[in-house]
Amino acid sequence: MSDAGYDKQQAREAGEIARLLSYVLILLASVGLFVSAAAIPTSRFEKLGAGAFPKIVFAGIALVAVIAIIDALRKIPAGAYGRFACQTVAWAKRRALVFVVLGALAVYLLAIPLLGFSIASFLFILSLELVLMPRTPMTLLIAVIVAAVFSFGLNWLFAEVFTVFLPRGVL
Amino acid sequence: MDSFLSGAAQIFTLATLIYMLAGSIAGIVAAAIPGFTVTMAIVLTLPLTFTMEPLQGIAVMLSVYVGGYTGGLISAALLGIPGTPSSVATTFDAFPMARRGEPGRALSLGVWASFFGTIISTLVLIVAAPPLAMFAVKLGPWEYFSLIVFALTIVASLVGDSVIRGMLAGLIGLAISTVGTDPIMGRPRFDFGIEMLQTGLPFLVVLIGIFAISQLTSEVEDAKSVRSGNPLVTGAIDFQTWKVMKEVLLRPVNLIRSSIVGVLIGALPGAGGSIANLVAYDQAKRNSKDPDSFGKGNPDGVVASEAGNSATAGGGLIPLIGLGIPGSAVDAILMASLMVHGISVGPRLIMDHADLVYGMFIAMAVASLMMLLVSVLSMRLFLRVAEVPKWLIVPVVMVCCVVGSFALNNRVTDLYLLGFIGVAGYTLRALGYSLAPLVLGVILGPIAETNLRRALMTDADPSLFFTRPISLIFLIAAVLSIAWAIRSHLKHRKTSGRSTDAPAS
Repeated sequence: MSDAGYDKQQAREAGEIARLLSYVLILLASVGLFVSAAAIPTSRFEKLGAGAFPKIVFAGIALVAVIAIIDALRKIPAGAYGRFACQTVAWAKRRALVFVVLGALAVYLLAIPLLGFSIASFLFILSLELVLMPRTPMTLLIAVIVAAVFSFGLNWLFAEVFTVFLPRGVL
Repeated sequence: MDSFLSGAAQIFTLATLIYMLAGSIAGIVAAAIPGFTVTMAIVLTLPLTFTMEPLQGIAVMLSVYVGGYTGGLISAALLGIPGTPSSVATTFDAFPMARRGEPGRALSLGVWASFFGTIISTLVLIVAAPPLAMFAVKLGPWEYFSLIVFALTIVASLVGDSVIRGMLAGLIGLAISTVGTDPIMGRPRFDFGIEMLQTGLPFLVVLIGIFAISQLTSEVEDAKSVRSGNPLVTGAIDFQTWKVMKEVLLRPVNLIRSSIVGVLIGALPGAGGSIANLVAYDQAKRNSKDPDSFGKGNPDGVVASEAGNSATAGGGLIPLIGLGIPGSAVDAILMASLMVHGISVGPRLIMDHADLVYGMFIAMAVASLMMLLVSVLSMRLFLRVAEVPKWLIVPVVMVCCVVGSFALNNRVTDLYLLGFIGVAGYTLRALGYSLAPLVLGVILGPIAETNLRRALMTDADPSLFFTRPISLIFLIAAVLSIAWAIRSHLKHRKTSGRSTDAPAS
């Protein structure tokens, strides 16, 4: 969490806890995947099997994650854990627009196969512009033109010039 | 001499030069779009060259090739998004330089470095193609694996604020590269029954998701700045092409070293611009008197990355011309183009079609001049991108990323992957993980695994990695590289009086 909140020290501690959680998650995933790699059958045609390289990599991840966890635990003061939830909510609130953008992207990606590239892109660009822009008649006009050019225009360019056909949709 | 003049006569016709100019523009524009690679641009150009004379067709494709290596610089410098995998390292310094109000300088540095890198690689190509090609094919899987081990030590230069998180990111990259069918036996791995994972995670989609989506999302973190209509770069945009040319030429050691790195890596089959730019950047940082300034807009970083990736264009032609072995996907397409015209590529190419080979050398030099001309003339136009407000650029570039990801394999599932990796990339960035080592891991993972397993299949004795001289040299270089990184890390801790592993919050 690379942002300075109202209390920099508390924000830094919360960031360290978030990183600690990520190390734990990575450790658990790497152990699980190591076990999964060990289950890959070996081949009699080669010394190393398909699972050998992944096992080396996941063992490496697990080792570094353990070091990271020890290092993080050493840095985090005991009182910081209690403030973590509060700090996380404050961090997320400051980044509300980020979540809006990622949400819009998710909806857009899911809508492409249904609506087709042109319509989905037009709606995505225009709606995101409406959320992000300073609203004046001029910016509204620009937003509509840009949305049309980079949805229907881009589709035309790829189909006619590059002969790459973007999804047409089913609706 | 007759062959040289014959080749020159075929290149210096009005029609060829016009076609080459169009090729340069197409290459630059294609590579500037995130996800639209030089390879794709070349593939699209190939059918257009079928009706041309062989050398004319090759010259046009070389123009797209050279232009493409430069085009990736534009989005790397202005948006912080590598237009192609070969411009990953360009984002490290060109982007911070552009953000501090010097986008013109960042672009000019990159363009001039690309130009000189291509020219140096062409000179090396002319002088050293046959001996270098012979050297390149003598390398076995042991040498390749040791080379990749050496290349992986670059992670030490790219770890950012935290060594531990940098190493984790690099290892996660390697882990990502193991998803899908294994490269030797074709056995499925880690697909968990999900169809889209069965063919592995496409590198380009990972690159776009990690760098582009996370960067674009970061742009809207400051809601007040976005809603007030702020552009990407504030302040006057300075644009002094000739002054910057001098600035590049005043770094002869960096320029030549990076170009040689690009040529050598380009000459190795399987490696290419995506590795060359990172290795050249790493070497520039290690040899700098002020390594701490790298990643903060150091001109040496921009020069190294761009000279390194552009020089792979000439380097890649070395095994192609010398031995008929394509060094990269783009070289394979160039080879296919020659074969379409009934020219068999191999060691006899230079003897049977000397005019064609000399023509290719001349075409490389002309293509780099055209790239320079097009870049210098269009730079002001591209710089306007930096003046576009964030509320316009973020959704539009996201759509371009979607198009680039889809056009790669024409698969809608790649788009879902893009979204997932984008969110993961933003999360990692927010948690203070450096994303460059992750990308390096994804690039190097398959090459490392393939060569390790191939080496042990050829001979089960692992001591060969240490007894084959070139392999041993690479391993010693890797050890020295790590020792250097530890030394510089300790030195940095001593001078700053604090751990470099401090929280990034």
